[in-house]
Formats: sequence, C-alpha cells, structure tokens
Amino acid sequence: MKISGSFLVPVPQERAFRLLQDPVVLARSMPGCDTLERIGDNEYHMKMKMVLASISGLFDGKVRIADSRPHSSFRLIVEGAGRIGFMKGDGLLTLTPVEGGTNVGYEGTVEVGGTIAAVGQRLLDTTARMMIKRFFEKLTAESASSGAFSPTAIL
Amino acid sequence: MATTTTKPETLFGKKIRRREDPRLLTGTATYLDDIKMPGMHHACVVRSPHAAARIKSLNVKPALARPGVTAVFTGADVKDLGPIPCGASLPGLRTPHHHILAQDRVYLVGHPVAVVVATDRYIAADAVDLIEVDYEVLPAVSDPEKALAPGAPAVHPQWPDNTAFTFHQEGGDITGAFAQAEVVVKQRITSQRLIPTSMETRGVVADWHAGDKSLTLWSSTQIPHLLRTLLAGILGMPENHLRVITPEVGGGFGSKLNVYAEEALMAFVSMRIGKPVKWVESRRENFLCTIHGRGHVDYFELAARRDGTMLGLRLKLIQDLGAYHQLLTPAIPTLSVLMMPGLYKFKNISADIVGVFTNCTPTDAYRGAGRPEATHGIERMVDILAAELKMDPAELRRKNFVGKDEFPFQTATGLAYDSGNYVLPLDTALAEIDYPALRREQQQARASGKLMGIGLSTYGEICAIGPSPATPAGGWESATVKIEPSGKITVMTGASPHGQGEETTFAQIVADELGVDIDDVVVVHGDTAIVQYGIGTFGSRGTAIGGTALYYALQELKGKVKKFGAMLLECDDVALAGGKCVDERSGKSVPFAQVAAASYRAMKLPPNTQPGLVATYFWEPPNFTFPFGAHVVITDVDRETGQVSIRRYVAVDDCGKIINPLIVAGQVHGGVAQGLGQALWEQAVYDENGQLLSGELTDYALPRAHMMPWIESSHTETPSPVNPLGVKGVGEAGTIGCSPAVVNSVVDALSHLGVRHIDMPLTPEKVWKLIQGGRA
Repeated sequence: MKISGSFLVPVPQERAFRLLQDPVVLARSMPGCDTLERIGDNEYHMKMKMVLASISGLFDGKVRIADSRPHSSFRLIVEGAGRIGFMKGDGLLTLTPVEGGTNVGYEGTVEVGGTIAAVGQRLLDTTARMMIKRFFEKLTAESASSGAFSPTAIL
Repeated sequence: MATTTTKPETLFGKKIRRREDPRLLTGTATYLDDIKMPGMHHACVVRSPHAAARIKSLNVKPALARPGVTAVFTGADVKDLGPIPCGASLPGLRTPHHHILAQDRVYLVGHPVAVVVATDRYIAADAVDLIEVDYEVLPAVSDPEKALAPGAPAVHPQWPDNTAFTFHQEGGDITGAFAQAEVVVKQRITSQRLIPTSMETRGVVADWHAGDKSLTLWSSTQIPHLLRTLLAGILGMPENHLRVITPEVGGGFGSKLNVYAEEALMAFVSMRIGKPVKWVESRRENFLCTIHGRGHVDYFELAARRDGTMLGLRLKLIQDLGAYHQLLTPAIPTLSVLMMPGLYKFKNISADIVGVFTNCTPTDAYRGAGRPEATHGIERMVDILAAELKMDPAELRRKNFVGKDEFPFQTATGLAYDSGNYVLPLDTALAEIDYPALRREQQQARASGKLMGIGLSTYGEICAIGPSPATPAGGWESATVKIEPSGKITVMTGASPHGQGEETTFAQIVADELGVDIDDVVVVHGDTAIVQYGIGTFGSRGTAIGGTALYYALQELKGKVKKFGAMLLECDDVALAGGKCVDERSGKSVPFAQVAAASYRAMKLPPNTQPGLVATYFWEPPNFTFPFGAHVVITDVDRETGQVSIRRYVAVDDCGKIINPLIVAGQVHGGVAQGLGQALWEQAVYDENGQLLSGELTDYALPRAHMMPWIESSHTETPSPVNPLGVKGVGEAGTIGCSPAVVNSVVDALSHLGVRHIDMPLTPEKVWKLIQGGRA
C-alpha cells in the first residue's frame, strides 16, 4: 500500500528535523509505542501495540533512519513482527519551511502480512492515515513543551 | 392365518425425513471438538506469516518456560516422518517433499513451523506467540500466470519454471475440425480460487496406548480407511495398530478428502507425550491451511459451422496448484478435461494443462472438483457461439446434444456416457418459465432501459467415482449387513457419509429388500475397527457405489434368510415382507426375529449353510454414472449499482432414480448455494506477496441464507444402467449447473451493451463498470 500526505508542524525547520529524529519524542508521539531504545547509529529497537479492526497485538521491531540530509529530508524505515503478523514501512520525509512552521511531507509504502493482512487489509488504509494524523498531532503538542530538549543528552 | 400376497409399499422414492437430523439439530451429536478425555492435552500450531522465507533460527525456550506448556516440537523432530502423500500420478509430475513441519524454508502463509502442546488450549495458543522465529523473507509469487513468466520467483528453488507438470490429451481430429470451421470463438475464462468453508473446521484427537502400541485417531475426515493406510505409512507404523474414527463431520465438500499434516502431527505428539492430544483448527487456520478449490485460467477455442454445428474444442488450462500437492491436487484439472465436451456430441478435443506452483494454499477437490470449471467453460462457450451466430442459445444446445438413442455414448475424452435424455430437462425448465414470453419481456425491458437476462446451463457430470482403474486408491465400495440374533439389522458401510443422509437412504434400501421396518435398521460408518475396509464419500459415490454394495450384500443375505425361513416353515421358498418370512402357498409365516434367532441358535441348519446371518459385499462399478440437467436463471441487473438480483432459479436435475426426494432436494439446495457463491460473491484473494487478504468470514463473501433465491427444483428420471438401483448421484449437480447459468444470464442482460463475457464473481463493481463501458 502506498501512503503520502503532509502535515504542518508549528516550529522552524531545523527544530522540526531534530524533533522527528528524537527517540523520546518519537516514542511519545507514535501511537501505541511502548519503548524505543537506541541499538546503533540511527537504529532503534521498538515495542508497540497495534490495533486494527478486531485484532490487536504487540509488535517487536526496529526503527531506522537513513539517507539523512540535515534539515530537509530523511528516510524512516519501520519493521515489526508479532502475534498478529508483520509490518514494514518505508517512507521519505521532506521538510520545507512555510509560514507558521514547517511542512512535513511524507511518501512511502506500507506492507503487512499474517493476520493483519488476512483480516485487516480493508481497514489498513484508514488506520494508517489515522495513526499518521495522531502522530503529527502528538508531535505538535510535544514541540510546544520540549523547547529546551536535547536528545543527545540522554542517549 | 391371513395371507399377505399384495405387494407391500416400498420406501424407495419416498420422502423419509433424515434419521440423522434429530441429533444434529438438538446438539446431541458428537463432533470432534466434543471429544474429551482424561489427561487430554491441547496443541496449537505455529505458522509462517510469510509466503516464502528461509528459517534462520527458531527459539522455543520462552514457550517451554511458560507454566502449562508440556512440549514444543519443530521440523527437526519430525524430519524423518512423512511425506504428506499425493495420490495423483501424472507423467513427469514434480512432487515437492511435503514435510509435516517446515524444515529450513516456508512456502506459503500458514505453513506449519512448530507445534506447542499444553495442558490447556488457551495456554497453548498464548505460547504460540512466545516462539521466536527469525525469517529471511524471500520473494513470492501468488498469480499462476505470473509464476509462469520468465524471471518469476521460484516457489521451489529446484524448479525455477514453477511448472509441476504439463499434460496433453487429444481426441478425434482437432486440426481437421478447426480446418473445417466456418466460425471460431475464443475466450479466456477464469474459475477463481474458492475457500470450501465447511461449517465445522478440521480437527484431530490422537490417543497413543503404549501398552499395546496402538494409536486411536479421531479426525473430521471423509476417508477414514484411506487415512489409516496413508497415516500408517507416514508414521512407519503397522496399519493394524492404528484405528481411525470419524465422528460427526460438519461438512467436507472435498476439503476433508485429504491427508493433512496435522493428522500425522497429532499422532506423533501423542506418541511422544504419552497422552491424548487434541487440535482443532481455527477459522483463520481453515482459510489458510485447508485446501482451496478451483483456481483455473482457461483459454477456450470452439470451432463450429455457421449452422451451429459444433466441431471441436481446444483448451489451454492453467491450474494454480499452490505450494504443495495435497492428496489429489494435480489430478483435479484432468477431471476438467474429461468433462470438457459437456453434453455435446462433437468428437474432436484437445487440451493442454499446465500445473503451476504458487506460494499459496494447495488447491484440491472442492464440490465438483474440476467438473464445475469444465462445465462453466463449455456452457459459456456455447453462449458465446450463440451470440456470434445470433442463434437462440437453447436451440444451439438442442442441435448439438447427444441424442437420447445414442447411449452409451463414447466421448472424445474417453468416457462412455451411460444414459441420458438431454433435451428433456431443458425443455421442462423452459416450459416452466415460459421462455418465449420472457424473451418478449426482455425486449420490452431493454426498450425501457431495464437490464434483464435469461441464462441457461445444461450440464453433465461424472458421478459414482469411480471404477478402480480411474482412481488412485480403488473405486469400489463395501457393505456388511448383519442380522442380529434378535432380528435387528446393522449395516456397516465403507462409505463415510458426512451430511449425505445415507443413514436414511441405506436404511430405506434395507427395509425394502428385507421387508422390515426402517426403525429396525442401524447404519454404522466411520470407524476402521468396526467397519470393513472402504473408500469413503466423495464424487457422488456414496449411494451409487456404496448403496449398490449394500444392495448386493442384501441379495446374498436374503438368500440365506429365505433358507432358514423355508426350513422353519417346512416349505421350498418364502417371501420377505411385513417383518416376516411368508410361505406364499400356505400363507404360513414366521417373524423375522424368530428366523434370526434360529440361525444363531443353530439347533438345525439348512443344507450347506453356516450359522448366523452376515453378508459382506465389495462392489466394483463397471463405469461412472453421468447425471445431467438444466438450470435456468432469470436475473435483473440494476443499471445504477451493478447489483445482480435473481428473479427466478429453475433447476431440473436428472440424477437417475431417486431414493429419497427430501435428501436430493437438500443436495440441490446446498449445491446451488455454493454455485451462487462462486458466481456472485466468493473469491480467495491473495496480494502479490502471497498474503491471503480474504482471510476470514468478514472478508470472504460466503452466501448467507438471506442472499439465496427461491429454488424451483424438479427432476426428470433417467435410470442409470450401471447399477441395479438405477441411481446416479446428485452431490455436485447444483454447484455444476449453477455458475454458468448465472453468468450466462447476466451476460445476456448486458449483451446489447456489447458485453460478451464476465469473469466470476459478478461483483456489483465489475458489472457496473461494464454497464458504464457499454454506455460510452
């Protein structure tokens, strides 16, 4: 499945770029995310709860940041597997300054398998959209409260 | 003493209510999941979420640490068992070694990887999630035509062309037929993958007795005896140490005409843990791990003269086999070829089958098994030809039917049709709907912008499967009749009925032959320790072959009963009627129970006669039987939504002599429901990575009761000369006759918009798009 869209984050581009790669902020913003631990350069171990239609379950996986071009774009690769199947997402995030903050455009693919595919395929599209929307809303809220935050301080 | 010389009323042909139903309807029947045993453990299977992957590592420790988990077994534990057998043999057939559990690679979503055994089913299910499997995902292919394309991912790396077999069959002079042709119509016709969806999923209970080294295995199967033989082979166990019991089976439709990994796996588990173990398939597992049906892409070419005379038929058949061969997987498309000429007399055919591996669930026998696909093909092609020639489809059919005086009729595919009168059901159905009036109505409807269609299908089918040379495991059936010392009668049939009502029809046959009350007859089946060897129930063979075996066993037994009766009455010959042996000359009689008692007491025996009253008969049929019929469907298509609604459904089926019209009606109704499912709603959908998207009943459009039309069912009766009962079989008729009638009807409704063919299922979206295309 292909996904694309954009969202306005009400902070300057440089800060938006940092926020989007900050594991603490990401952990708080990603819906269902339990933990996000650094396991290497730009690589994190993630545990999250996924709910789709009548099925739910824990996902164990990895988040990777690649092709990082500071302040303007990077790729976010998410892979997870659990009792309800597996999912793989690969997206390019592009940041452009606009009035009132930064426009974050995203474009990528989501692939699922196992029970999620067998049962939830028809709801996948709307669920993905909803999760992305919630993520950016949460990120916006985080951006208002974490001005002095330095990700490297805790890692 | 009063004499009874008038012929008593027989039960053959009577609407006797199914004796099975009270227990089935009141919840007092025992299905597999009702079996409970002291110390019984429960198993759940770990399955691959990937359609193709290498297993890099497998960690079962976290599952074993969970309280209540008794054992976990993986591929390494069972690598020496098996393989899961394929009974089909074709020249050059490639058969992948089908292990009970995956070894280092998985080939489809749902592939069993490990089994967790626990004291409780919920613990076992939860522990499945604790098994850590590290997969290296590999490219997969789910579409059979894409699998044949160069460079497609190889399902089995040793066969990069994904071709399991190719098969060619030819009859007559196909080149000559096409050379003579004045018109040739061609069409690609698909018969989509379907999921059989029996109400009861599969399930297995295995109980190992270490003391006498014997194993009892309960399975929801259609073939207890064949399962025992094949399972003994898989397990390397003497067959006579193994007992297979079939409890009540909640539907099979061919999907339980198989030997599955879980049957061997549970036997293995019980032997290893020394306890009984139960596994019951979930609905999601059922969709992924029990065989699918159909899965054809067919390219047809029909040659004819301008006057409508059909000359020859060419077929290229691409069969989606899935990742493995189950018991009959590669054989199913060969049945399509046998049936491809339908009811028509042209004698030139050519067929090429390509059996293709895909990373999907194996296909195998599903209600009709190859014959619905063939009938759909020929009946669509006849309508396409009629449209091309601007001929009435009924008239075109009549012109090409095998005539009623031409039986036995040798087909170009090597069959000998036993008997038939093909015009009769067609004309009966057309009279029923007043065909000419409907055609006039259709003209008026079109003039006012309404879409209405009349669709015909005249189908033939191959039943009573079959003579032993035509089957992989013997095509006969067996029956034992025992008259107990009290005069009560026990029948043991090797057929393993599971919804076909043979506890009733067989008792009718016994009651008629022995002149006893039907309530004195019990029919036993489905236990290899009690019932003599048998083949099972599939391919409409239960009554046509199993019933005939019973008939012949009864003839033997009747002779013996008469000898004892004559001895007791001191006469030469007696008749059996009204529960008595009657000397018709003197009018003296002796009750049946007294005759039975005398045979076991054996104070005196007739000359050359053993004590007791038991007879067993194994009957080998000389031929298949060939039922036929006509289904006519009137549809209205909503121009704005593409929704198809069925106004009338008229089925005139000829299944030979009818023993019980209620049971025949039930078979027709159920068959039509599954045919409509294929025609209008059902489809197993895979994404390009081999993920089954229609993985649950919420996504797989199985017909519901409210979606069914009223079925106007009637019959013509052309007896079969193949067996003394004159019966043919009716298990698949509804399904086979249905789908082409529905599609022909909808194509007929849209034909003036330039629509010539629509592939199933006829979803509103598909139909609506065609209407839009037609408008533009």
